[in-house]
Amino acid sequence: MTTHLPVIPPKSSLRIDGTRNFVYPADVKGRFTIARNALFYALIGVYAALPWIQIRGNPAVYLDIAERKFFLFGATFNAQDIWMTVFLLTGAAFGLVFATALLGRAWCGWACPQTVFLEAVYRRIERFVEGPREKRMRRDEGPWTMNKLARKLVVHTLWIVVSLVLAHVFLSYFVSLRQLFDMMRHRPAEHPEAFLVVMALAGLFYFDFAWFREQFCVVMCPYGRLQSVLLDPDSLVVGYDAGRGEPRGKVKDPSRGACVDCNRCVVVCPTGIDIRNGLQMDCIACTQCIDACDEVMDKVEQPRGLIRYDSQNGLAGKPRRVVRSRVLVYTGLGALGLLVATLSLSRHERFESNVLRVQGAPYVLDGDDVRNAYRLHLINKDGRATTFHVMPEATPGVSFIVPLPDVKLESLASADVPLFATMPRSAFHPPRTLRIVVTSDLGDTRTMMAPFLGPEGGATPHATLGATP
Amino acid sequence: MSSDPGTEQKVVHVTGDGIEEFDSHLPNWWLVTFFGAIVFSIGYWFYFQVFQIGETNQAAWRREVAEIAERSGQNVPVTAQQLAELSKDPAVLAEGKQIFVSTCVACHALNGGGVVGPNLTDEYWIHGGGPEQIYATVKDGVPVKGMPAWGPQLGATRAQAVTAYVLTLRNTHAPGGKPPQGDKFAQAN
Repeated sequence: MTTHLPVIPPKSSLRIDGTRNFVYPADVKGRFTIARNALFYALIGVYAALPWIQIRGNPAVYLDIAERKFFLFGATFNAQDIWMTVFLLTGAAFGLVFATALLGRAWCGWACPQTVFLEAVYRRIERFVEGPREKRMRRDEGPWTMNKLARKLVVHTLWIVVSLVLAHVFLSYFVSLRQLFDMMRHRPAEHPEAFLVVMALAGLFYFDFAWFREQFCVVMCPYGRLQSVLLDPDSLVVGYDAGRGEPRGKVKDPSRGACVDCNRCVVVCPTGIDIRNGLQMDCIACTQCIDACDEVMDKVEQPRGLIRYDSQNGLAGKPRRVVRSRVLVYTGLGALGLLVATLSLSRHERFESNVLRVQGAPYVLDGDDVRNAYRLHLINKDGRATTFHVMPEATPGVSFIVPLPDVKLESLASADVPLFATMPRSAFHPPRTLRIVVTSDLGDTRTMMAPFLGPEGGATPHATLGATP
Repeated sequence: MSSDPGTEQKVVHVTGDGIEEFDSHLPNWWLVTFFGAIVFSIGYWFYFQVFQIGETNQAAWRREVAEIAERSGQNVPVTAQQLAELSKDPAVLAEGKQIFVSTCVACHALNGGGVVGPNLTDEYWIHGGGPEQIYATVKDGVPVKGMPAWGPQLGATRAQAVTAYVLTLRNTHAPGGKPPQGDKFAQAN
């Protein structure tokens, strides 16, 4: 099935000879632009504010990779908890796949950092210093004048400053704001890795947002490349109603369709395509052509929605469907991942404890007594420092030695607490299990089982593993 | 815009599913990264393989293994002389005391007087009271009696530090210490 549209040259940010067709998107006004801008600034606000927010004495989001300490909204994790991310990530990934099947590339146009920073910050600066589309195009084609040099200098300086700020905010998620400010007050040579990371990130941001731009979405982004398998004819896309619009023509032409061929949808496109050529891989569903076309339709007194959010079936005049088998499957898989992640997060315990045996012999015979030596491995998984109390449960015939019954542990610190249990050989009858109670000052209590080992046959002194000292 | 010759693309062929394919060049910036990688690989090859200026992975691995072996002193024999000198170094003793408090106190008590483990502050030693003997006991342990081998956990340097600290405890007769166990050890120094 080939295209029904008239033969028109396809448009793209890449020319056939491999050169870049630099895109100069025109200004656009409309309801989607207003809504998008509101979301962009809200998202940037969240990005900038999160490192400042403290929950229970720790930053709301602080991923200390060097020390393997992870603080997330008041919960504290160490490297042993990394398995939870499997479910979190699969849940999030299927959530995105689900959103794509239902809403198309809503992520790209509304929430992707590439779009958010490019549209809300970098293009804003460019528009402010260099003027609207026509001025920018004329100046870029023209000779180098003092005016052009000055404007380019200002816009690039501002971009570099913004890139540096964004890179510093990014780093603060991994080193915490306090350490970031501390490092900023010292010479770069004292923390070369952090300095290089920030400089490399700032350079990458500057390169990406000042020059690379839509090439990232069109050529590099794997999510963009997966669209052809994630979408189906019932997914929501930004599309042109060819049935209503064609044949396009001048306003005065009575035989024309609704499209007045004003080219507005093309000049506002940030990836340089013509949406009237149908659904294309380059389309990031930014909705700028919707706002542009609605404005023109209002002027020529036609109903809005020649370009609109609709499914491919809807645009072709076929019945629209929301619930499809793929939507149900994606919902199930996404919900499963998020459910397991939520369960494992809610069952996250505030301390970890294990009863281990001291390396060496399983038990020691000391005169007429059998002795077992244990190590109690404790990890404080709370964000606060706390003291743990180790108390063996009183057992008739068994005497305990706990040399360090109270252990103070900083957040995510660990300690090995020794513990000895002794009982007369005559009283030992396997299997015996002792109970050790650990309480913390935060109010947690846990009882652990410690198997007590000894020689078979109780009182018979021979054929044993242990030795009398 | 449609007069821009660069954007006009010819349909080269239509596949069975009706998908049109254009004969476009690769993006120039992409080709720059491609040829740039080839140029880089030539320099890389000469740097690491031909002139061997850079350190290869194998060489880096050998260097790091040698560093770790040196730091842990795993295979270096320790003499009584060295240990006796260490027991006079305040910095080593401070480290040794800290290791003693966190590792040994449970069985040997804070003052070395012994709890489950024997008294370290008398003249009697079960496994010998000489510097090398104490070091061997710390490093390799006495598994059948409940003394763990601390060498693998502490590393040679820290095991030596704690041995040096134990040497200073000898014959201090800590109050409330356990009764003597083992044989009387005649001190050489």
